[in-house]
Amino acid sequence: MSELIQQGINAVLLGCTYTLIAIGFNLFFGALNVVHFSHGDVCILGAFLILILYALAKALGLLVVLPPWIWVPLIMVLAMVLTGLLGAFFERVVIKPFRYAPLLMVLVATVALGMIIRETVRLSFPHGSNPQIFPRMLPQKSFTWGGVLIRTDNLIIFGMTLLLITLMFLLIQRTKIGSAIRAVSQDGEAAMMMGIPIDRTVAATFFLGSALGAVAGILIGAYNNIIRFDMGLMGGVKGFSAAVVGGLGNVYGAIIGGLILGFVETFAAAFIPGGTPYTDVFAFLVVIFFLVFRPSGILGEKIYEKV
Amino acid sequence: MLKSISKGLLLLAVEVLFFGLFVFFMKANQTSTVVLCLLLFVGIGLLFRFWKKGNESLSCLFREGKGLARGGFVVMLLALPFVFRDSPYLIHICVMAGLYAILALGLNFQLGSTNVVNFATAASYGIGAYTSALLAVHYGVSFWLGLFISGCTASLFGLILGFPCMKTKDYYLSLVTIAFGLIVYALLVNFSWTGGPNGIANIPSPSFLGHSFRDPLHVFGVELPPQSNYFYLVFLFTAGALVVAHRLHHSRVGLTWNAIREDEIAARCQGIDVTWYKMLAFCIDAFFGGVTGTVYAHYIGFISPENFAFIVSVVVVTMVILGGMDNVFGVIIGAILLTILPEKLRAVEDFRLLLYGVIVVAMLMFRPQGLFPQRLRTYRKGKP
Repeated sequence: MSELIQQGINAVLLGCTYTLIAIGFNLFFGALNVVHFSHGDVCILGAFLILILYALAKALGLLVVLPPWIWVPLIMVLAMVLTGLLGAFFERVVIKPFRYAPLLMVLVATVALGMIIRETVRLSFPHGSNPQIFPRMLPQKSFTWGGVLIRTDNLIIFGMTLLLITLMFLLIQRTKIGSAIRAVSQDGEAAMMMGIPIDRTVAATFFLGSALGAVAGILIGAYNNIIRFDMGLMGGVKGFSAAVVGGLGNVYGAIIGGLILGFVETFAAAFIPGGTPYTDVFAFLVVIFFLVFRPSGILGEKIYEKV
Repeated sequence: MLKSISKGLLLLAVEVLFFGLFVFFMKANQTSTVVLCLLLFVGIGLLFRFWKKGNESLSCLFREGKGLARGGFVVMLLALPFVFRDSPYLIHICVMAGLYAILALGLNFQLGSTNVVNFATAASYGIGAYTSALLAVHYGVSFWLGLFISGCTASLFGLILGFPCMKTKDYYLSLVTIAFGLIVYALLVNFSWTGGPNGIANIPSPSFLGHSFRDPLHVFGVELPPQSNYFYLVFLFTAGALVVAHRLHHSRVGLTWNAIREDEIAARCQGIDVTWYKMLAFCIDAFFGGVTGTVYAHYIGFISPENFAFIVSVVVVTMVILGGMDNVFGVIIGAILLTILPEKLRAVEDFRLLLYGVIVVAMLMFRPQGLFPQRLRTYRKGKP
């Protein structure tokens, strides 16, 4: 039983990461009907920004002067903002020119952008091809509770994800920019006619999605203690898969899809004998199953094609 | 009579000039020479772009002497191993360019003709390579039989991949193909009978009529390095693939694929069996990939999953886009350019993938139809 709970905790943690990436995919798809295939790489970029900021703070001696509970959130927020800005920048440079072009073009362009980001990261870090050690910023303690080992950093990760998702929902549901985002996602042209600045709203959407993605990248780094330049490829594909399973374009679906993928992977590794190397295979089989039998996902609306 | 002979001579002179430039470029060792050559090529291209009269008369010349032009081209290509016989490395580059050209031609059926963005080229490439390598290493199956078997196996997997792809489109379809590629990669790394991450080594070289491809080739009393065996083999295969692709493009099938690309629903309303034709594209692409993989495996003699990672698929997509989608010759030129350039520009070797990414984005933005855009089909009486 405790084994089951233990694995359940791991699954939820993994699911949180996928959810954060999937929310980005859903936001972008809602805003522009576009799938940003390099989103996973943008997320990992967030983790690499942490590396840079950490080294910078260390060089400036801030780590000694300030207590950890100030500099850890500070670095994280900075990395989030920077990643968000980069995400909005990428949208402006690579996605916007294809707004009225055939869909194939933006698809291939974003895949190529992913390659550009990966290679830039690899080339600009010393020994970039090797895994980089992620700084241990969260307290490394653990306690047992009812026979289940709980790590403090995992608890913080989970709480942070919950907080961020709640904040994002509040932002989307309660604020002015949030209602603009929702309006654009419902009908871009109608929103434009109502006087909503569409470019700015799209930029805000990409900022928001990329900033949340940066957190996902940081979580991946904090959980594995290492990051590698090409983690974004897998992260992006998994995040997109989670979004598809939940229903592309539906932000709530991201949570369900992320959790499903997290559970499938963790349980396949834990309870199928010899299944550990094949977790990705199981996850993708589930995704392909969903795509074939329920392409609109769990919460997505069924789309009828119009001529 | 005299006029046509002089025209033919002029044509051959132009071809020889370009061939000489190409050889000089390939043999150039210093980066500065390579860059100079590249600038020269770009300059010639731009010159003919703006010098309308020269462009017209040259293309007219080539159109009139079509047979001669093609014959001269083929003879010069066949002579390449003689020219490069001192440096097997250059022949190796040409072999790789040919292999990538076949891969790109295969992908072109989907990406170019049908608008199916398939990111699983590396998967069929890998399946073909592993099939024939395993057969050859464990059961001693000959290269030629393995070629056929691995092509069919890859096709079968293409069919299997096609099933979920028929139910999906656009982004979802690409997701399925990416997932398929990653699954194949993960399986190749983790299965023990495929050699795991270490791959398969000591794959035997093929032999033809008692002549092993590992031995130097003797033609007209000249000893050519062993790579030239493969050069001629790949040349033959590329020519075959080119003919198949060209014929398909100009047949009903190619036209049907284009109809599906333009509007799938409209095509369906015209009575086109969209599923069948899309499946056909998947299978042919996979077959090309499988054959290429086999040749690669036996040529290099060692394969590992790294040779068939996702990035290979993206590289092939880049080649198709650079060359010009749905233009058979353009695709081949794209493949050759993107294989040779990084090899010649050693200084930017590390930036190769970055360069590919930038090329794709720049091409899509500024010249989405590629270097050589698809031309409208011309139909004449009595000729298909």
